[in-house]
Amino acid sequence: MPMASLSRWTMSYFAAALAFLIAAEMLAFSGAGYPTASLAEPATLVIVHVVAIGWLSLAMAGALLQFVPVLVSRPLAFPQLALPALVALVAGLLLLCAGFAVLAGWIEAPLELLPLAAASLLMGFSLIVVMLAATLLSSPSVGMFAGFVLIGLACLAATALSGSAFATILSGRGDWLGSVVLLPDGLPFHALLGFGGWLGLVAFGVSYRLFVMFMMAPEPPARRIRPVVLLAGIGLGLAGAGLVAPIFGRESGTGIAVAALGMLALASAVYGRDILTLYRVRRRKALEINMLASIPAFIALGIGIALLPIAVATGAGEATIAALTFLLAFGWLGGLTLAQLVKIVSFMTWLETYAPRLGRGPAPRVGDLLAMPRTGWWFALYFGGTALATIALAAGAASGFRWAMLPCLLGTLGVVAELVRVRRLSEIKATDRPPAHERPWLLLARADERKPPHVQHRNAASPRA
Amino acid sequence: MSVKLERLVEIALRDVLDPEMGRSVVELGLIYAIAAAPGGAVAITMTTTTRGCPLAGFLKEAVARAAGAIEGVTAVEVALTYEPAWEPAMIAAE
Repeated sequence: MPMASLSRWTMSYFAAALAFLIAAEMLAFSGAGYPTASLAEPATLVIVHVVAIGWLSLAMAGALLQFVPVLVSRPLAFPQLALPALVALVAGLLLLCAGFAVLAGWIEAPLELLPLAAASLLMGFSLIVVMLAATLLSSPSVGMFAGFVLIGLACLAATALSGSAFATILSGRGDWLGSVVLLPDGLPFHALLGFGGWLGLVAFGVSYRLFVMFMMAPEPPARRIRPVVLLAGIGLGLAGAGLVAPIFGRESGTGIAVAALGMLALASAVYGRDILTLYRVRRRKALEINMLASIPAFIALGIGIALLPIAVATGAGEATIAALTFLLAFGWLGGLTLAQLVKIVSFMTWLETYAPRLGRGPAPRVGDLLAMPRTGWWFALYFGGTALATIALAAGAASGFRWAMLPCLLGTLGVVAELVRVRRLSEIKATDRPPAHERPWLLLARADERKPPHVQHRNAASPRA
Repeated sequence: MSVKLERLVEIALRDVLDPEMGRSVVELGLIYAIAAAPGGAVAITMTTTTRGCPLAGFLKEAVARAAGAIEGVTAVEVALTYEPAWEPAMIAAE
């Protein structure tokens, strides 16, 4: 049976992702972007894309490179593309931010930076899609999990393509796009497909599978999960229709956005019920920090996705919609990602360091690699800051929002420091650490040296007598 | 003889701990069958909590090593199966 092993570049994806999160939080704390600037201003666009692409997409891509092979029991297809994809995404994002800086007049450079950024990002995301889709489709049966990820990847493609069109229009090189008015009507749908489809739906799919493992809970039957895929699929289909409507000379309007959000809210309700069931029926009674810290993320999802369609439908002000979007991006997606990173990094580090010692005597457990309860306090800071920042945004308090980003930033820095300590095995007694030259590297898995012993043990006789 | 050997192997496998739970592969219900032939050849059928588990190869090796260390065991064959699929109800009561 083919076995999945460690994804070599996942740690590098995580490191880049966390660096972008810290950068975004520092920018927000310094007062750049909304609410000091307006929603469509370049400074806001910089922060939004550093969060969406730099933080959330890189973390998601890194996690999928590790877990898609595990979850479908197939080796990763084209693993050699992982590094070029990372380089293209990071370069594309930096170019995009530079392009926005030109638009804002902060730096002098040709606006062609924007289409160049789009090309680099398209290249990076295409490589990710190729690796993941080829891995999923190589599995003999494409199950429910693959459905979540494949729809998410389709949304990623739509988001990246529409974003590239926007970048080209903004650079003044979009004449060939004709009279198609993609901006600003397409923007909400671009955001919906990115946050709701690529990041949100894939988070749903991955969490169904991972939480079953992390909490030792029985897997929910497919008939329970199917409505989530169906409802979200309809919602995202509507978002896609809203995005392309201007091409056919139709106005997309608020109605389609409300309908799309409404379907995503229904999908989230069914998903929320299932996740609650997983928590309730788990066999692993003591919750680990990743599952505890996911609880505020689920609360953020519940509040955010229930209120956002209502806010859009009733024409609530910009402040309310910005606050709810922030809650979904930082509370739900960001919170869940940060919480699960702690587990994924610990598990991968354990696998690299101690798996070859399995059964050869005492070895630390996965949970021993992480400093507790200290890590819990960092999460408290992060989520506390997120809650305060959401309230400040809703109230239109720009300085309140800035100061609320400080605990968010400190919490994030704390979690990052703990992750570095996990990689360095800092919590492990010196006698239980391998010699220095065998310890995990900070940013790179020793994948080639830690391949699982492929099961040649049939008849492996090692009698003691 | 073989029943006694199977029992000894099971006891040895209680030292192979799952790194997540800190409980043995036996307690977790990952060992489906242990069969010892009169000559001392032992066949173990086991599973992992999920298909494609990155630990599968390591767990298999650890199980083979633990069983092979028992006096009287002349050969060990470990087979990985997902029929039936493991479920949390297979965990021994605490």
